[in-house]
Amino acid sequence: MSNINLAVNRVSKRFGGNQAVDHVSFSVTKPELIGMIGPNGAGKTTLTNVMSGMTKPTSGAIYLNGKRIDGHPAYDVTRAGLGRTFQITRALGRMTVLENMMVPGLAHQPGASRSNLEERAREILALLTIEHLTNEYSRALSGGQRKLLELGRLLMLEPSVIILDEPFAGVHPRLQETIYQYIHRVHEDGKAIILISHDMGAVFELSQRLLVLHHGALIADGAPQDVKSDPAVIEAYLGHDEED
Amino acid sequence: MAFFKRFESTIDNGIGRRRFGYIVLGLIILFFLWFPNDSSQSNYAKTVFISGFFYAIMASSWALLAGIAGQFSFGHMAFMGIGAYVAGLIARDGIIFAMLGIAISPESISAIGAIIIGTLIAGLVGLVIGWLLLRLRSAYLALFTIAFSELFRIMMLTEYDYTGGSNGLSLRPLLQIADVDAARQVEYYLMFGLLIVCLLVMHWVANSPIGLFLRAMREDEDAASALGVNVVRYKILIFVFTSMIVGLAGAVFYSDVGSERIIPEQLEVLQMSLIIAYAVIGGMESLVGAAAGAFISRYLLEATREVVIALPFGLTMSDGSGAFVWETGAWRYALFGVIMVFTLRYMRNGLLHPIITWFSGRDLVMQETVSKRKSDDDYDDLLEAGDE
Repeated sequence: MSNINLAVNRVSKRFGGNQAVDHVSFSVTKPELIGMIGPNGAGKTTLTNVMSGMTKPTSGAIYLNGKRIDGHPAYDVTRAGLGRTFQITRALGRMTVLENMMVPGLAHQPGASRSNLEERAREILALLTIEHLTNEYSRALSGGQRKLLELGRLLMLEPSVIILDEPFAGVHPRLQETIYQYIHRVHEDGKAIILISHDMGAVFELSQRLLVLHHGALIADGAPQDVKSDPAVIEAYLGHDEED
Repeated sequence: MAFFKRFESTIDNGIGRRRFGYIVLGLIILFFLWFPNDSSQSNYAKTVFISGFFYAIMASSWALLAGIAGQFSFGHMAFMGIGAYVAGLIARDGIIFAMLGIAISPESISAIGAIIIGTLIAGLVGLVIGWLLLRLRSAYLALFTIAFSELFRIMMLTEYDYTGGSNGLSLRPLLQIADVDAARQVEYYLMFGLLIVCLLVMHWVANSPIGLFLRAMREDEDAASALGVNVVRYKILIFVFTSMIVGLAGAVFYSDVGSERIIPEQLEVLQMSLIIAYAVIGGMESLVGAAAGAFISRYLLEATREVVIALPFGLTMSDGSGAFVWETGAWRYALFGVIMVFTLRYMRNGLLHPIITWFSGRDLVMQETVSKRKSDDDYDDLLEAGDE
């Protein structure tokens, strides 16, 4: 129990008549690499928003490293150790790449020396192969480079749990390889990762465990090979055969 | 063009653009320090400059709030008015103390004391409004502050017994100098000093971690929050800070430094629109740009009150003069509007942005990135050719 990083207990989120997340429960231990899949509208992004404090849950509880975080504002959840990326990248356009990196650095370590943080930011940018863009405005970056920048910003936060929302979407294969290496490296560093993606190849290759959401509910939670043959998952993805 | 390229190359290879920028800035400051000592300058010219300094504080603080922090408030003139009116009322009949049940004689409050209290009250009102509104998105702030400004103006206009209504309210004079020329000179330096101090403090804030967080939340509040920035806290902080800056500027300016009384007309939406226009023309994301935009605009608005057009072909007016004198009146504001439209359409970062960019060397960074990208692409092409 003590090595559980994130515990989601019967979390629901309702928007009017739409039950976007329906009593979802699961836990994440350190250092797990979990894939989260589901058809469009399954509730993956809503659940991510609830976990990261962007949206308050209608009911349920979420614990991060033993601290209850549901209903807490996003900045508080982030400081507690949960970092996330966005499905559509949210680079801070009229700020340089280095400034983008310094925002989480200074927010996470207000008393830290600026030069030390800058040095760390440059190391991370080098790891992500975008160090030559350090002083460029992030609005000038390509879509893939912005994804890398978002991943870099996460490392400045030193979170214990990372949620990656569609990190491979619309990314050039060469940059996809960099993101693969990033995920491996961060996982080896002992962080728990929740990977949300429609890229089934990547999810099955990287994940140790898979969560499947459908209509807001968690319909499968297990090893990728077991989930692949789960009738409920097959039905969610391929639909119900009327002759059955 | 060739001359400029040679000049640019000399600076880049010599002292560098930033240092050159500091030298230019130093020379500009020296000019402003020298100006009132020039015996050929009239007191009117000094008054125009004092007004320019006041509006430079207003525009640059609005640039900090809206251009850097992304909080579009239309309440800037109202907060300036709060600073001035509170300072005036405190020193005249101590009404604020009476309301708070504190027995202090108004005579015992100095002009400086009244200015400090006016500044603090402007900040306090900013805190209340910020606490109520800044949890919401900026459109609500804009709508509320328009309504708030108008309500405040109407209150000042109708509460004649306290505020003097449309006649305005005289504040306790900050300076007691009998000689008019000497007084104007000291007032000039006082307002110029206040502008420099305000710019330095705002520059420090804009370049501190707080400034970085402000710019992050301007770009994307959700992203900033997900990166650990307490967005509401910093929004309130900057709102209170800029409210105090303009409250201070208003209290000082109307303490018989730039103007002998504050009138409700100064709080009209038109005046607020002018502040926004000055900041837009100078550059909303630059404190110095907005301040320079305000100063130059104020100067031009004064200089174009009367335009003298020499008549060609020996033509003369009915009074025998060879020039047509055009009293521009409100038409100069129309010209001003055209400049603003041009700025928004073609130079959204302000007319001074290219100059600021040049001094900061940002174009060099962009050139460097392009060349690095090119060499990266060439390297990739080389690898691909090798694979084949």
